Amino acid sequence: MTAIFTSFASSAPSQTNLFDALGIDWKTLILQIIAFLILVWLLGKYVYPWLVKSVDDRQANIEAVNKAAQEARASALQTEAQVEKLLAKARIEASDIMATAKLESESVINNAEEKAKKRSDQIVADAQIEIQKEVVAAKTALHNETVELVAMATEKIIGSKMSPKLDESIIKETLEKVK
Amino acid sequence: MIDNFSALDLHISIASEKLFTLGGISVTNAMVTGVLGLVLTLGVLIYVAIMLRTKRYNRFVGLVQWVFEGLLKSVNDIIPDQVLARKIAPLSITIFFFVLFNYWLSVIPGLDSITYHGVPVIRSLTADLNFTLAIALITMVTAQIYAIKYLTALGNASRYFRNPIKDPIGSFEGILELVGEVSRGSALALRLFGNAFAGEVLLIVIALLSSYLASVVLPFFMAFELFIGFIQAYVFFALSLIFTSLAVTPHEDSNPDHSPTAKHIRSVAK
Repeated sequence: MTAIFTSFASSAPSQTNLFDALGIDWKTLILQIIAFLILVWLLGKYVYPWLVKSVDDRQANIEAVNKAAQEARASALQTEAQVEKLLAKARIEASDIMATAKLESESVINNAEEKAKKRSDQIVADAQIEIQKEVVAAKTALHNETVELVAMATEKIIGSKMSPKLDESIIKETLEKVK
Repeated sequence: MIDNFSALDLHISIASEKLFTLGGISVTNAMVTGVLGLVLTLGVLIYVAIMLRTKRYNRFVGLVQWVFEGLLKSVNDIIPDQVLARKIAPLSITIFFFVLFNYWLSVIPGLDSITYHGVPVIRSLTADLNFTLAIALITMVTAQIYAIKYLTALGNASRYFRNPIKDPIGSFEGILELVGEVSRGSALALRLFGNAFAGEVLLIVIALLSSYLASVVLPFFMAFELFIGFIQAYVFFALSLIFTSLAVTPHEDSNPDHSPTAKHIRSVAK
């Protein structure tokens, strides 16, 4: 046990002065102060500016990116609003167009219907006139044919050719009887 | 067990040990390792700066850039004035990287085994009170320079020296503030030294105690030391910024009726 203390005691400085005991040497102290100040000056002058510049550049880049992101976000919001506005406008326009088209189509349909009705009426009227004409023609033809048949029948019955005057009187008389 | 301990040849020295003398200046083992740390710090940062300048990126460059960006953000968060923040950043960031690399050098193998005339060659610069005191002094003096710049010499002096007849409490506060400045600086130096020194002692003791199992046990403690190194570097970095921030902030009136809290209470009461 005593050996430990002896060992420690032997390593303890023999100087009585506190500074000497702690190993403080003024020459060394001043030398180290000067050396350290030179180191600080050297680094501050030639090394740190590059490191500070890199940090500042990085910071500036980050800020620029943030600013760009914010601007992009604002722009996106603005575009979104514009798109919404355009969509709303388009919807209104589409609904107007639809309404107009509906009205126009109704009008076209009505016109077409009216036209078709007129045309069909015209066709019916024309057909009726034509039928009337054909009926009259058929009646006339029938009348003439009937007269001829009667004349022929009468000739056969009488056995002689009749004069036109006689024919006519006989035919009239016959016809009146037939009626 | 005790005999085993006594058999171990523990070489522990609070002060860094002289290896040789160069131009009348004693070159200690911590200084030699410090030169290695300096080369490492410069090498890493210059390499990253060149890579960034030529726009060539890899994972290591990305990692250092990420750490640098985080440190710069911390500087901007702690120091309210952006102009001052950019001025103080080189000092505090250099403190972080230099302390980090030097602290991490304490885990390189051969900590106690590589010797020169019986003196271990490797000793972390952060385990040398000269270095920790040097950067603590630089930090405190820088804070005072910026305080004079921002508050004027008289304004800065009024933080410590006030008329005891007009403002007895304030004058006492001033004395406390003055004592606080000294204690902050010494605490800054001693905290880093204490951690680094204790870390080295821990690694030496574990290596000796674990004997043949050292290669299995030590890596865990080395990883722990790497983590502690990062924490200590960040603590020193943050404290240097906080002290500067405190130094450039105008002091409040010691009269309780004029304090911001009292003003706030009065405004709420209205």
